[in-house]
Amino acid sequence: MIHPHSWPLRLLLWLFMVTAASLSLVSASIVCVSIVSAATEDLAFEEEAAIRAAVERVAPSVVRIETAGVSEASLASSAEAMPASGPSTGVIVAEGGWILATSFAVPQDASEAIVVLPAPKQETPPGQENAAQRWVARVVGRDLARGLVLLRIDEAALNQAALTAIPEWVPRGELAVGQWTIAVGRAWDGATPSVAVGILSATNRSWGRSVQTDASISPANYGGPLVDIQGRAIGILAPLPADTAGMNLGTELYDSGIGFAVPFDDVARVLPRLKNGETLAPGVLGIGYSARDPFTGEARIATCRSGSPAAKAGLRTGDLIVAADGRPVTRIAELRHALAPHYAGDRVSLTVERGPIGVPRRDGDTPQQDGATNQGEPAPQQSAPTSRIDVQVELVASLPRWRRPMLGIVPARSSTRNDRPGPVTVAWVWAGSPAAKAGIVAGDQIEAVVPPVAEGDTAGAGDSVPVESAAALTGLVAGTEVGRSIGLVISRGGQQQTIPVELAAMPADLPADLVEQMPAFAPAQAGPGLPLADAATIERLEAAEVAQPPLVVLPTAPAQEPLGVLIFLDLPRGPVAESQAAEWKAAAARHGVAVILPGSTDSQRWGREDIAGIKRAVATLAAKRAIDPARIAVAGRGAGGAFAWLVAEALGPVARGVALVDSSLPRQATVEPSEPGRSRWVLFGSSAEATAAAPLPARVEVDRRRLDEAGFAAGTLPVEHGGQLPTTVLAAWVEALGLL
Amino acid sequence: MIRRAIIAVVIGFLAGGAGDRGRVDAASPQETIAGAARKVVKIHGAGGVRGLEAYQTGILVSPTGHVVTVMSTVLDADELDCVLDDGRRYRASLLGVDPQRELAVLSIEAEELPAFTLAAPDPVPVGTRIFALSNLFGVAVGDERVSAQHGVVSAFVPLEARRGSYEVPYRGDVYILDCTTNNPGSPGGAVVDWRGRLIGMLGKELRASGSGIWLNYAIPAASLASGYADIISGTTSSDTESPSNEIMGPGFDPAALGLVLVPDLLDRTPPFIETVAADSPAARSGLRADDLVIAVGGRSVASRAAVQQALSSLAEGDAVRLSVVRGGAIVDCNLGPRPAAGRKR
Repeated sequence: MIHPHSWPLRLLLWLFMVTAASLSLVSASIVCVSIVSAATEDLAFEEEAAIRAAVERVAPSVVRIETAGVSEASLASSAEAMPASGPSTGVIVAEGGWILATSFAVPQDASEAIVVLPAPKQETPPGQENAAQRWVARVVGRDLARGLVLLRIDEAALNQAALTAIPEWVPRGELAVGQWTIAVGRAWDGATPSVAVGILSATNRSWGRSVQTDASISPANYGGPLVDIQGRAIGILAPLPADTAGMNLGTELYDSGIGFAVPFDDVARVLPRLKNGETLAPGVLGIGYSARDPFTGEARIATCRSGSPAAKAGLRTGDLIVAADGRPVTRIAELRHALAPHYAGDRVSLTVERGPIGVPRRDGDTPQQDGATNQGEPAPQQSAPTSRIDVQVELVASLPRWRRPMLGIVPARSSTRNDRPGPVTVAWVWAGSPAAKAGIVAGDQIEAVVPPVAEGDTAGAGDSVPVESAAALTGLVAGTEVGRSIGLVISRGGQQQTIPVELAAMPADLPADLVEQMPAFAPAQAGPGLPLADAATIERLEAAEVAQPPLVVLPTAPAQEPLGVLIFLDLPRGPVAESQAAEWKAAAARHGVAVILPGSTDSQRWGREDIAGIKRAVATLAAKRAIDPARIAVAGRGAGGAFAWLVAEALGPVARGVALVDSSLPRQATVEPSEPGRSRWVLFGSSAEATAAAPLPARVEVDRRRLDEAGFAAGTLPVEHGGQLPTTVLAAWVEALGLL
Repeated sequence: MIRRAIIAVVIGFLAGGAGDRGRVDAASPQETIAGAARKVVKIHGAGGVRGLEAYQTGILVSPTGHVVTVMSTVLDADELDCVLDDGRRYRASLLGVDPQRELAVLSIEAEELPAFTLAAPDPVPVGTRIFALSNLFGVAVGDERVSAQHGVVSAFVPLEARRGSYEVPYRGDVYILDCTTNNPGSPGGAVVDWRGRLIGMLGKELRASGSGIWLNYAIPAASLASGYADIISGTTSSDTESPSNEIMGPGFDPAALGLVLVPDLLDRTPPFIETVAADSPAARSGLRADDLVIAVGGRSVASRAAVQQALSSLAEGDAVRLSVVRGGAIVDCNLGPRPAAGRKR
């Protein structure tokens, strides 16, 4: 190096150079330039040689993985890079034929994979491996939390070169951000491994499950080792998503300079269990939070799933989790970080604070306002004592199938904009529901609830919990099993009484008299004698960067009156005409629903580009008028029906209902099991001739059953044979989405 | 730290006074890039149709103004411009194209230009550090030079890629680069090693046939040299059919070997064998119903369509060897010479 480390030497050099400069000794300066350049060049080529040597050190242990017998039907084909669509990489991790690969190369339904061992280049042209190199590998174990798969091939297949190249591992504690990282893959070429070079970007990512590199990581090297400059393995490259609680594909970031590897410490810990044939699943606790943002929201339990580890440990709605695994927790993100590295079967200690602070209302979009209202709360809430409870929970792989339970009450509209904490007013009661049978009537105010006794908990039995919002009540109901009773503390005409209501399952079908069951939207009745259709206007939802703003049919009402929202996607025919929008006016006015009618950008098809415009339209509407977040639905007809499902998926849990007329689900639709906070009411309607025995076409019935099995309310939307779109029923259904 | 900075400044000052830096054999990365960028041009031509870009990159390969670039719609223009590293602009004419390699040679009227020497060197090893110089995204809008990126050679493998749903005709080996070079405007860019030697040219934006991921790749210098020579000598002709079309020729029906695969219902139907005709080459080779075909002639096949394609691409009389998975083991079956492709029924 040109910078001597001892001070006198540096001084000497400095003096020498100043002298050289002042005397304009050209020859001396040329010497200096040569030193600089030669040093840079030597360093560059020495690094290059070191990188190549590091790769050679592990190369014989890096193998190609091919997938056999997996069809596209079993793959999520919405992703740009499809799993198991081409060769990928694996690495030999132990004597005995043990090879680690990723679930990208070996998807869930594959029980075997093909391993192609490396061959000397001179013997075999690329892609033309001889039979001796190709081996069938059995899937022995899976780590679903990290997307790793342990394969085994005949141990006789591995030669000495492969065995001696089994990587030596770097402990996670020795890793330093900025060090060289080299990603080694085998997908392109059987003879020479592929190389991508970068630095270590972070030592703790994916909620503690990975390290990060800026080398190009793609399907070509998923499953390969990420090695240091000495050829020691830092981790196994895997498509881990940076931020998701569950595992999705994680391939969106391929070749982006954001790549992940599962560090060795984690691999070493699970390898014996994987060899044992275990499938390691991420550990699930079974709670939902009241706050929406994990980084700003506290970990207060809104829903505690019945039968979940949390419920078995005695946790319940309203508890605030303050520590996990002995570490303090103040935000949901911290709790997630503590839980994510755990597998099902792991035991975790949790500390919760419990006190008569009531069921908090859900955090709105405006935390400052929340703060202001909280300060105005009556004093008893602060002064009431809270208790700290320590529990041990054993995480599980999956929770019992969840089906949304209901009381049968439909709360009055509310919106995040003008929501004041307070009792929930019953707007109407679902005919024949438990609430109806128990004698709950419209106008009752639900002030508190008496939750059912939690499993394994005896302390708090019989305590009532004040109700401050419909959302909080929803959380409590969601965590209670069908068949159990909740006591509703209601006030009616100044009298308070407690009425027990036994929960029933949500209905799937719409009753024939749905429209008559519910009161009309109040402002619509304001002008007697006025035709309903005149109580709605048609506007354009102008928004920045939207070339073709959708039409919206808006009920005439004060801006703060919360509206339901229905996004209707017809057959893709380009822009929507005002005459089509006019068909919705009476329905929108009768039920207080804003009907958004987007047009397709392409006149032949709905496309992904339309989704962004629809999301923006909803945001524009929300800025303009108050919206009830519990009453947002997407409906569509024909190609627009399948597209409605995709739009609902893109909107997320906020889309509470999807109605498809003359359409089945899109081919690539994946149906995840229903969960509290992520459940939908799905209706299928058909204008084709139907019989009582088969109200829906066979293909649609398959989808309906599929959703039903996943725990969704999936029913039939009555559509007249060859007839008109049931606009009034759809708008009434949007109001009914508030059903609790 | 401050002292170090002062030393660096002094060295920089002295270096500035040293005059001709190009004569120093061991060049710094900055000098390597500056030297190579002088031989790279920005090309402006046709575009705008369906959102296609109207620009790409080219490399100077002779002092008298020959530019090698990628054959593309950008060149389908009456007015083609080349912008040199120093901002000089020249009208260019198209000398010829090589449709097989998808190369084109342009000519500008200029003398004594800096140029790469096209040769046919051995491929550089995987792991070699590289610089890529290209007009990526057309961001070099004015007189400034093209953008420089750095990376390493990731692999050297046959190109199996598609553009949209069309397989590309180029079948030679290419460098896969660990460097994000698949950008609009990058095609035709120069890839040099850290000594400034041309090792390849960035190709068109393509996706890998199998996984569908975008490819960062370069056509090796040797292929450029032969393509350039062919175009200059007039031995390529743009109206001959490309070999890929010949390969596609008449489809081969595996039934001629006594082999019936499962019906092709899905986009990627796994190639299971449905039935094997008695006393056929397939039966004699030991193939059985329910075997899963994983390779034809040692080459992996992931779908029923891939088996069909692999069999069709063999010539009449070529040995047919299928590898199948049966009961957790791989079995190799030799079916003997491939019969002639039958007429399509």
